[in-house]
Formats: sequence, C-alpha cells, structure tokens
Amino acid sequence: MAANKLTVVISQAQGKNPVRRELEETIAARLLLESDIDVSLVPHVYDMSADHSGLLFLRALSGDLVFLSWLYPRATRWVLDRQAVRGQEGQSLLGGEDEDEDEESLDDTPAAESAGIGSIDVPARSIYCIDMRASDAADDFLEEIRRIADERSVETVGLMDWIDGSPRPEQLQRYLRSPDSGNGDSGNGGNGNGDSGNGGNGNGQTAAAGTEMEPTGRRWYPVIDYTRCTNCMECIDFCLFGVYGVDQRDRILVEEQDSCKKGCPACSRVCPENAIIFPGHKTAAIAGADGIVENLKIDLSKLFGAPSAVDLAVLERDTELVADGRDAVGNSVGLPRRQSGHAQRHDELDNLMDDLDAFGD
Amino acid sequence: MMGKFEARIPGDRRYSDSHLWLQPVAGAQRVGFTAYSVRLLQDVYFLEWSIEPNTRVTSKMEIGEIESSKALSTLYAPCDGRLSAFNDRLLDDPTPINTDGYGAGWLYELETEAALLTAEQYREVLEAGWEDTQRLLKGQLN
Repeated sequence: MAANKLTVVISQAQGKNPVRRELEETIAARLLLESDIDVSLVPHVYDMSADHSGLLFLRALSGDLVFLSWLYPRATRWVLDRQAVRGQEGQSLLGGEDEDEDEESLDDTPAAESAGIGSIDVPARSIYCIDMRASDAADDFLEEIRRIADERSVETVGLMDWIDGSPRPEQLQRYLRSPDSGNGDSGNGGNGNGDSGNGGNGNGQTAAAGTEMEPTGRRWYPVIDYTRCTNCMECIDFCLFGVYGVDQRDRILVEEQDSCKKGCPACSRVCPENAIIFPGHKTAAIAGADGIVENLKIDLSKLFGAPSAVDLAVLERDTELVADGRDAVGNSVGLPRRQSGHAQRHDELDNLMDDLDAFGD
Repeated sequence: MMGKFEARIPGDRRYSDSHLWLQPVAGAQRVGFTAYSVRLLQDVYFLEWSIEPNTRVTSKMEIGEIESSKALSTLYAPCDGRLSAFNDRLLDDPTPINTDGYGAGWLYELETEAALLTAEQYREVLEAGWEDTQRLLKGQLN
C-alpha cells in the first residue's frame, strides 16, 4: 500500500510583493521534486470566500496538510476551520523567537488547558500551520516540511519520479502556471495502486497554480478561536452590524463575514477571552499571535492615558456607526451592565428561565 | 519619593493624571511631559503627531506616538479641547524633552476648559500609582 503523500498548500500573499512571491515559488519548485509531497498554490486564504475554487479544493483534501500562509498560525487555523477545513493541530517547530516556549509546550495537551467550546466535526488528520514570515530562507521551510513528512511516514515506497532529471526553470514556471498539469496525474505507476492519495484531483480540477484561480478581493472579518471562546455571546450583543450569528447548536459563529466594517476591530476588544482574531490587524495580539509579543521596550501607553479596551471598542464602533449614517450609541448598547459590588440574586424568574432552558435539551 | 527618584513637582502649573503638565500661555495651555514621564522614557528618539494643528480633540483621543531608548507609547489628549499648535522644533530634535522638559521641551498648546490637577493632587496620583507602575515596569522587563 502506497504511503499517503503529504499535501503542502502555499497560500499566496496579498498583492504583488516580489520577495514574497519568490519565496513561495522557490518553496513550491523545490517541493515539486519531492516524491512524497503534493504541493499546491492557492490565493490568500483569508480573502477566499466560501465558494472560491481554492476552498473547494482544500475541503476535498483528506490527509495531513501542511499549510503555509502569511498569517499567524493561530489565525490560519481558525480561518480554515470556519471554512470547514479542519484537523488536529499539528505542531510545527518553525516559530521564530518563541521557539523555546513552543518546545516546552509541546508536552501540554492543548485540550486540557483551554476552556473554550472547541471546534466540532474535527477529522483525525493533522493540519500544520506555518507562518511564512517566520524566516527569509526557503531552506528553513523545506527542512521543517521534511521533518513533518518524515515524522509521519511509517514506510517509504520507492516511487518513480515523474519528472526525469532536473527540470529547467522555464519548465517549472510552466508547471506552476498551467492548471492542466496535475499533482496526482503521475500516470506512470508512481502510485502503485492508482490511488492518487490526493482527493482534490478527483474532479480534474487541480490547484497547482493559485494565480490561475479566480481573483480575490481584500476582505475584513473576525475569526473566532474556539479553544478560547466560551460562547458567552458578548460579541453578538456588541456588534451592531449583524456580523455574528448563532448556529443550530446554539454556538456563536461569524455568520455574515462581509457585513463587517473594514478596519474595525472593536469586537475583538470586548471579548473577555481574547478569542476574536482579525488576521490583518496591525497589532499582533489582535492578528492572532500566540502568547505575549515580547518587546524590548516598555509600552507606556497605559500610563499616558490610553483608554481601556472596552472604551476603545466603544469609540471604534461609534466611528463605524456614524460612517454608516447611523447614530453613535456610546456604551449604552450591547455591553453587559457590569455593576461591581452588586450581588446577583438568583430569583424565581431566573429559576423559571433555567428550567425552560433545561427543558429544551 | 518614587523609589530612589525624588520627584520635584513645580507648583507654577497644573497637571493631568496622564503625567503631563499644563501651563497657561496666551489663551491656551502649554503642555509637556512631567519629570516622571521623562524619567520613564529616558532619551527620546522620535516623536510623531497623527493630527493637524487646530484640531478639536476629545479626552483620550490618539494624537501621536513617541519612542525612546527605553519605551514607546501612543500619546493621548489629556482632556477635551482644541489643539492649536505643536512645538515644531521637537520634530527635528526632541532632546529638549530630556534637557528642559518644563521649558523648551513643551509639546503642544491646547485650548481647554477642563478641570486640571494641582501640584499637590498630582503628587497624590504619583504616590497612589507607584505600586501599579512598579508592576508595569517589572512585568514588562521580564
């Protein structure tokens, strides 16, 4: 039985940054030569709307997946999750300055630590999310991908390379640009029993060249990290633009992604668990960076009068309301009335409500 | 006393709890950093304003950024008012903030009716906030 190929997907950067493009193409070209790896390019994952062909391709993948993007790994993971591309969290060692922390925490069970409601319908395959800003050198990524590939393979079957010898650069370029040359169409017995091992090629559509797919526009919407989300519903109370909704299991979800006001991060500030990510935001913590972003310098903003997170969120929301032709509401709408020192008495009405809730289960 | 630093608070001006002094000058208040701020910042490298002069500001509105050898921060308006002018000399060379923080190192002029703290009240703010400030300094230095 042929060993499953490892699928590597490169989610291309927004815009036409030549340095980023070159890194993507170098990694892709080198991975093409690896017989146990399938590589594909898709547009920037955050910008693909639900019906984009790139996402259709990703959803059809069933095995382990290494996903390279220009976002923090946590952001990538939850963007994919919302688009029904799910898996166990694969641990990557390519984490920049936080490497020591990552290695220590590899022993921790993420599930044990998180109080969140977690994701659902997670298949038993691993997704390794890697941030392409972690290094300038293609070699670092190739080493890490090789490490992941070796770690998961039990036995290697000798596969005949379908590329004879070393391809010339123009040949590689043609390969990368052409949507017709598929990863799985090895043809010449590369996979012993004819199983392409790559479900996405079943319908003939491949994602070999992300640049050939339909163009994407720049989008802006929140992404929920369900390892932190406790379903408290403060976000849906706070957002007055209808971005949030509740699914059939009464779980919070980002329902109308494109109703979100471009650039507004207000809801991420009111979330008590910091579970809301805006992957494109300039502040690392809001963009999904893990842990505390270390600075060599002290941030004195709090001392010099920075408004609290909630105050800032209120200001940002009012800005968007006014821009939309609506009235500013200040903090009078959508915020829990947090009265300090006020004992919450559980009265008969509360009991009745609890009984009704329990009745529905 | 702030730890080992003896805080001298000039009595000839008012203060805000965001560690700025305000001194009346020709219909507006001239605003600058108190010695406390300067001590925390150390050498100022870079100062930038994100609004134009003659702009209405509200309390805690973002008006600029500062970066120094030890620290960085966004800068916020201390109260509601109208920011009438910036000290443009600082944009080329911010050293007067360190060398003459209560004089030539003034940051901007602000027209405001807001109530401000007296020197004595500001001293109380410093004392009350010292514990928190220590935690801020130590927590972030690790």
